[in-house]
Amino acid sequence: MINTDKIRSDFKIFDGKKVPVYLDSACMSLKPNSVIEAMNGYYYEFPACTNRSPHKLGQKATKKVEEARKNIAKFINANNEKEIIFTRNTTEGINLLVNSFPFEKGDIVLITDKEHNSNLVPWLRLKEKVGIILKIIKGNDDGTFNLENFKKEVLGAKFVSIVHTSNLDGVTNPAKEIIEIAHQNGALVHLDCAQSIAHQKIDVKKLDADFIAFSGHKMMGPTGTGVFYGKQKLLEKLSPFMVGGDTVLSSTYESYEMLEIPEKFEAGLQDYAGIIGLGEAVKYLGKLDYKDIEEHELKLNKYITEELQKFPQIKIIGSADPSLRSGVVNFYIENTDMHKFAIMLDEIAGIAVRSGQHCVHSWFHSKKIYNSLRVSFYVYNTMEEAEVFINSLTKIFKIL
Amino acid sequence: MPCIVALIVFGIMGIFSASQRALAKEALDCVFKRVTFRPCNTGFAEKVKGKLIGKVLKRSTFLAKLLNKYYEVFSWIFFILMVGSTIWVLRGGYNFYVYGSCNGLNSSGFCAFDPSGSNNKVTPLGDSETCGTVQKTEKTVTLKNVDLSSFPTKNVGGKDTVVFIGCYACDYSRKAYPDILKLVKNKNANYIFAHYPAKGEVTNSLANAGYCINKDYKEKFWDWNSYLFTTDKNYILDPANLNTMLTKFSFDVQKINECVNSIETKDAVEAEVKELNKTNIYGTPTIFINSKAFVGPKPYRVYRSAINRFIFF
Repeated sequence: MINTDKIRSDFKIFDGKKVPVYLDSACMSLKPNSVIEAMNGYYYEFPACTNRSPHKLGQKATKKVEEARKNIAKFINANNEKEIIFTRNTTEGINLLVNSFPFEKGDIVLITDKEHNSNLVPWLRLKEKVGIILKIIKGNDDGTFNLENFKKEVLGAKFVSIVHTSNLDGVTNPAKEIIEIAHQNGALVHLDCAQSIAHQKIDVKKLDADFIAFSGHKMMGPTGTGVFYGKQKLLEKLSPFMVGGDTVLSSTYESYEMLEIPEKFEAGLQDYAGIIGLGEAVKYLGKLDYKDIEEHELKLNKYITEELQKFPQIKIIGSADPSLRSGVVNFYIENTDMHKFAIMLDEIAGIAVRSGQHCVHSWFHSKKIYNSLRVSFYVYNTMEEAEVFINSLTKIFKIL
Repeated sequence: MPCIVALIVFGIMGIFSASQRALAKEALDCVFKRVTFRPCNTGFAEKVKGKLIGKVLKRSTFLAKLLNKYYEVFSWIFFILMVGSTIWVLRGGYNFYVYGSCNGLNSSGFCAFDPSGSNNKVTPLGDSETCGTVQKTEKTVTLKNVDLSSFPTKNVGGKDTVVFIGCYACDYSRKAYPDILKLVKNKNANYIFAHYPAKGEVTNSLANAGYCINKDYKEKFWDWNSYLFTTDKNYILDPANLNTMLTKFSFDVQKINECVNSIETKDAVEAEVKELNKTNIYGTPTIFINSKAFVGPKPYRVYRSAINRFIFF
């Protein structure tokens, strides 16, 4: 069981008098002190280049960065740390894939109908540039994945790139089945794990995922950090789209010799402090039991869902069943701009929630919904905060 | 409507703050969309509304409900108030520039640009000690039916006419004097000086002396006049120093003294004061520039504006 008091004591933001009611973890999670201290440790104690510098500071920085890589590999149960490529975020990871994989004209790529722009726009670009055929797998009305549709569409597909847990409604797609079906049909699969990585155990071996991408900032890690995972044999076949410093073993005026994975994909000097912080975030998450996280989020989600259902004008996006929506409750009111609600909640009780189209514009446009208000929680949120949110929302409804 | 209000408010604030500038740009975009009959898709109007209602809701549900219901009405009211106050501020700025007071000519109400009201301070007539602001309306101060022919005059035939009614003993007259002199010189204006013995007996003798000097020495009067306005007040007001001062200017001391003490002079000066009182003067200095009255020591630009006919309202 999650001890929120103990967890909250690990976060400086919860100290002091004006503590925010932070319900926007689907966008950005809060960072425990240990992550910030680890980053500061780099800047204060060994702010050097990794790999190339022979001095002690450089060696220490290299050791810490590689430790982080190992921790992350272990965290997702990768075969080895070579399969872990550091990126700036999920978006960069997906761009790396899209631009490095040998896609050809006519290749069929499948995505779902509620992809974040990160897993939509790069494919649209590829469609324009290379001429791939991009197919959208239509989901069920309650936001769940439609396996039947998928089975039909996957025939002849070369690649499947789908969101694991949607930031729109919190619904998790059945990745294992999807991957199995895709592989049976000769298609490779990439999972966008930006939203899922912090809320459920990701085991790339069990899932048999070919590629996954995720961001540090949603899993208590620093902003500007991310990971792109790929099976080693697949990564070795990719041709990096960004090259230069740190990606080559040697070069002449006429040629160059690329480094092995993962370095060949990590062009330029990396965010070492961020990577070390991300390693620390993974350590912190490793101490938590994912079953406890899921149970805690469900408790909060259930309460908020039940309370919201008392307002007839509110429409919850995705399944009515909170157990299918992870730590996300996203709702809207027809013909109403939800920005106003988000701002009022912030003004009334310092409640941080997200309003807008949550980078899933395509879904909102197809449904002709202007925008929505998303409440998302994590291990540090309490039932009292959920109550503050409901009470404040009730107050707003009284004046409308 | 809230977008227009926001555009103006943030536009002004944006002059000083970059963060407000971004809001002004957002408001501008919103206004542009609205005037082209498109929805304001920045959410700006809703953001502003949400913030305002949220702040009120923290304190009173009733007021928040009211604000939410009549948001457009309140926006209009604030817009009208804003336009009104903007006009008021511009009017104040204009008044301050051309009259030296935000509230208009010779008006001594509070003015942010001149908080001490120094541009309207006068020496009240007949008060031997105090100097200060006397609030009256300038409309009653006029040169109509006032005969100024007996007062010292120069640049006769000038295009503009400046009449300076001042008192040697009054700090505010002394303050205004150099500016009037400069104005007359620059504009070659027809200049009439009238000494008003605002501080009673103590200033009467200087009025009499001035009358006699003007009668007998004409052009030399102006040097005498400048001397009195620029020399230490206590010194010139001391009757014991009169003869020394007269000697300094090579005047016939005995003749001037006889003249000063003569019944004829006293009557003439009294008649002059009576004539000046016809202007409804209530304090010194009072300056008429082409018949427009300026009471109190105004900044030079005020006199210049008046003589250049820069005053439109």
